[in-house]
Amino acid sequence: MTATQAPVRRERPRIGSHVLLMLLLAAFLAPVAWALLSAFKPANDIIRSPLTFDPTRFTLDNYTAMFQDVPIGQGFLNTAIVLLFKGAITMFFAPLAAFAFAKYRFVGRNLAFGAVLITLMLPTIVLIIPLLLEMKTLGWVNTYQALILPGAVDAFAVFWMRQVISAVPDELLDAARVDGCGEFGIFWRVVVPVIRPGLAGLAVLTIMNIYNDFVWPVVAASSERMATLQVVLSTLAQNITGNRIGADYATVTGELLAASSVALIPLLVLFILLQRHFINGILAGSVKG
Amino acid sequence: MTTIPAARSAAPPPAAPRRRRRHGGTRLRRRLAPYVFVAPFLAVFFAFGVYPLFFTARLSFTNWRGTGAAEWVGWDNYTYLLTNGAFWNSLGNSAALWLLIVPIQMVVGVLVAVLLNNAKLKLRGLYRVAFIVPFVTPLVAVAQIWVVLFDGRYGAVNALLGVFGVPEVGWLTTGAWAKPTLALLFLWKTTGFIVIILLSGLQSIDGAVYEAAEIDGASRGRRLWSITVPLLRRTIMFAVVLQTLAVFQMFAEPFVVTQGGPYNSTTTAGYYLYNHITRADLGTGAANSFLLVVLVMVLSLGFVRLLRAKD
Repeated sequence: MTATQAPVRRERPRIGSHVLLMLLLAAFLAPVAWALLSAFKPANDIIRSPLTFDPTRFTLDNYTAMFQDVPIGQGFLNTAIVLLFKGAITMFFAPLAAFAFAKYRFVGRNLAFGAVLITLMLPTIVLIIPLLLEMKTLGWVNTYQALILPGAVDAFAVFWMRQVISAVPDELLDAARVDGCGEFGIFWRVVVPVIRPGLAGLAVLTIMNIYNDFVWPVVAASSERMATLQVVLSTLAQNITGNRIGADYATVTGELLAASSVALIPLLVLFILLQRHFINGILAGSVKG
Repeated sequence: MTTIPAARSAAPPPAAPRRRRRHGGTRLRRRLAPYVFVAPFLAVFFAFGVYPLFFTARLSFTNWRGTGAAEWVGWDNYTYLLTNGAFWNSLGNSAALWLLIVPIQMVVGVLVAVLLNNAKLKLRGLYRVAFIVPFVTPLVAVAQIWVVLFDGRYGAVNALLGVFGVPEVGWLTTGAWAKPTLALLFLWKTTGFIVIILLSGLQSIDGAVYEAAEIDGASRGRRLWSITVPLLRRTIMFAVVLQTLAVFQMFAEPFVVTQGGPYNSTTTAGYYLYNHITRADLGTGAANSFLLVVLVMVLSLGFVRLLRAKD
């Protein structure tokens, strides 16, 4: 009887498992928790007693100083613009292309999809030099186009969505066709609603990738006006010391932790709100292998 | 939850074939549709993917420095790199980081995934979320925190070790420790992701195989090693390939944390490549990226072979 309802192992975990998991939990959360808390300590305390937190000495000084010294607002704005446009392009065109790859037979399909698979294996850095030159030719260095268009319809997104859409039964599409639905209508009104969980996973992953992207922005758009949040963060230390002659290590550290916290929080909140979609998304995307 | 969500959604009952005749008029549109659907993707893919790739290939045979005329130099860039100590040093550093990262990650990943796969585990949801937190945090922010945490003088890590009487360690300033510190950052950042992937593999294993083993009286460790690991082989190999690609491309970590130092001990393959760009030595950089691609592909195919051979 028990055998039928046991897809997962049913033994009670031993105490050792709990200890191991708790230790890992602490290790995984400690760096972030430490940074978030320490940012509210007086700068000198951060380096003098890094392991303690005294609530009576709570301060926002690091934050106010950081907002003065670092153009983090501009960074957020640039990241938001890229997120909006690049995200929208990926979320629409990747599933659309994936739909064609999954459900139609057409000339060059295997060749094109083979090319997609090969690019998945290529290190992104291979493309950095020629892409940068391409941007120079187009006059796009330090523009939003440069941040948005390359990689806008990500090969991985197409690959993943193809897996997801392949699982949609053909009968569903044929039924819609019999009902007089156009080809795009089939995508929009049948496929999209059915693959919503996969799309949610793709959305979270896309937001995360764009928000955290660093290599391409730092190469293609590193001017102060165009710098994304991550690029601003990466030049933080220079910025602070540059703006404050003789800024000491404690000041820099305090502002650095404040800036890192500000950058961490939006994604943490998003993740906590959408964690189910996110984890299911990764699961769905990787099951194939 | 192993059912595909798509299968659950209520399919409208297949309509009666009364409207068949309308099919003929839409056949052409049906044939043209896929081309329209893939066109935007292919446009971006060719403009910013395929074209640059061929451009790199051509560039790697020239000595172009970004301006002026490019001179064809044949295989010079390749022979220069292949006989250059710094190039091999960067590969060696990446290989060392691979050894510090991937085996540990797979062992810890399998253990944690197996524990989390137990439905009776308390706080299961909390663990799953907590282990993923590092993966969603921006790398640059975390790398900055790493610099502060592992500072030799003022860092929290040395302060904590000091409580137990361990003398100060120059985590980021000594050649011996810089690599492990960087590897730790990478492990911290990506192990949760690997756990999720392995969990997905575990969930496709039929529980019945364990029943049999239990009846035979196999111990927990025995079952893990003789049943779980072999059945999980495909997923593990997938994870290994993913991480191999990631480790050999590692760039942002050394860029922010160590700038490749001390004494080039953390100049990874990816970071070394970036150095060519900053020196405007584009021909060499292009050749370097191709050598890297070949290496990564050979490694990936090697792992896939390994997998196939055992099947």
